Amino acid sequence: MAETKPGAQGAPVSPLRPVPAGAGPETEQALFEVRRKIYPRAVHGWFAGWRWALVWITQVIFYGLAWLPWNDRQAVLFDLAARKFYIFGIVFWPQDFIYLTLLLVTCAISLFLFTAVAGRLWCGYACPQTVYTEIFLWIERRIEGDRGARTKLDAGPLTARKFGLKFAKHSAWVALAFWTGFTFVGYFTPIRELGAEVLGLATGPWETFWICFYGFATYGNAGWMREQVCKYMCPYARFQGAMFDRDTLVIAYDRSRGEPRGARGKKADPAALGLGACVDCEICVQVCPTGIDIRNGLQYECIGCAACIDGCDQVMDKMGYPRGLIRYSTENALEGHLDVGGIVKRFVRPRTLVYIAILTTVVVAGITALMLRVPLKVDVIRDRGAIVREVENGEFENVYRLQVMNATEIPRRYRITVDGLQGLYVASDAVVDMPAAGTRAFPIRLRVPPGSVAGGSQKIWFNVTAEDGSGIHVREKAAFLSPKKEQN
Amino acid sequence: MLTQRVAWILWPAFLVACAMEFVFFSLFDPTEMHLFGEPLEASRMAIYSVGFFVFWAMGSASSFLTCFLQRSPWEVNRCPLPSAERPEGCPKREEPGCCN
Repeated sequence: MAETKPGAQGAPVSPLRPVPAGAGPETEQALFEVRRKIYPRAVHGWFAGWRWALVWITQVIFYGLAWLPWNDRQAVLFDLAARKFYIFGIVFWPQDFIYLTLLLVTCAISLFLFTAVAGRLWCGYACPQTVYTEIFLWIERRIEGDRGARTKLDAGPLTARKFGLKFAKHSAWVALAFWTGFTFVGYFTPIRELGAEVLGLATGPWETFWICFYGFATYGNAGWMREQVCKYMCPYARFQGAMFDRDTLVIAYDRSRGEPRGARGKKADPAALGLGACVDCEICVQVCPTGIDIRNGLQYECIGCAACIDGCDQVMDKMGYPRGLIRYSTENALEGHLDVGGIVKRFVRPRTLVYIAILTTVVVAGITALMLRVPLKVDVIRDRGAIVREVENGEFENVYRLQVMNATEIPRRYRITVDGLQGLYVASDAVVDMPAAGTRAFPIRLRVPPGSVAGGSQKIWFNVTAEDGSGIHVREKAAFLSPKKEQN
Repeated sequence: MLTQRVAWILWPAFLVACAMEFVFFSLFDPTEMHLFGEPLEASRMAIYSVGFFVFWAMGSASSFLTCFLQRSPWEVNRCPLPSAERPEGCPKREEPGCCN
């Protein structure tokens, strides 16, 4: 952002007032820094409403989806013990790793695109850190009161009331954290069985451990660490600036309108006093979950939650000034005074077009691959013991080991045929019954009549076809060995 | 300072361990792994969990070395000043009178 030198024409720059670390009564030595404890003030408004909507949507999905049944099983289950991922109607195997990779790439590119267009939308509304901090803060407010009451409570001596409030708060936090840990583990081990085990205090050692681990992480991150996670622990916060440009929507303080800031009466005429629209009430600082002053310009600590917009708009309403002293805007819009239409028009620019092109390619490729995915996998391994042997009638026999994987949730019967050599046939059982979402490995013997092979290694094909007419079919290459003619 | 160092060591290692766990166990099945020529007898869940902590420990070792090697000569050398007379901001400074 272009800085105006003090004394130069235009609005004077508000001086930054550095606060020495360790100053003030609210200072505590936290994990990452000497930290001024932040007591965010509750805020209401349009963006707070959106954040709560996102809290509800994400958490109804997170806590609820684990309980959703699908074909007599859990709809979404990452069964690590069996190495199968169930996602609604589809079963993914380790061989389907590519889909997971594509999904992660899609998420990453979407994040880049959203960030380029509208800044840290993810951080401000949907990141679990934000969402759980919001919920934990809500609990804290319900029990201890809003900002003023909490500051007073913390500063006061330990009384029975303070102990009771703290105890109630931490109990509520721990209960929610435990439920979160339980739900998390419920995505990896069937949640209904896990629930029964928890009720009977009979969970396995690893399940117990991971419930506690995830629960403790939730409690620590949302209850204690809060903004420190975003400021010091999150790698994304550090590189999100790389996706920003002059047309990215960010939360910005309109310096030209706000400065010079200063307190004034409600009826006072700011023009007559030589003041801008900012009444210097510091509401924007008090509501900020990361404790920054947005009036100092865009900072990496800003998670884009827009709490300061809601806070400032309320003050502007009270003062009878137009809203939007702090608003979503772009650097270009603030300098060139673009209107909303101008901002929207600039959403389409080379950077976003490149992100959209990559995103579309990956999504289309992923969906196409998923549609064309054959839910049957066959591996042919030559039997290492016997290379080739001559059996009755002078026929040559090769033994293979077939690994068949039925990736559908229906038990199926498959027929195995071979081709590639004249007279080649399956001498063992050519029909295999496969369990639902199961694998089977079995030996299979192929024979060829004498005189129909040239000798040496020859390419043959295994065809595995479903017998139920579903059209599921896999063709797999193998080699058939037979003695060279001159050796006969 | 010590808690900060511990956080600097454990946290990046945790992130890397998560990524390693995901990639490694997507590609390799624990039940097909061998330890000193013997198949691993433990359950998959046990191996995943132990694997995670092994990755975390390895990542921590790397972060520890980074922290250890990036110390300035002033932090490594013995300081000629008594601890209370060290300049402000020095990690080895102690408040006057606190530790004689």
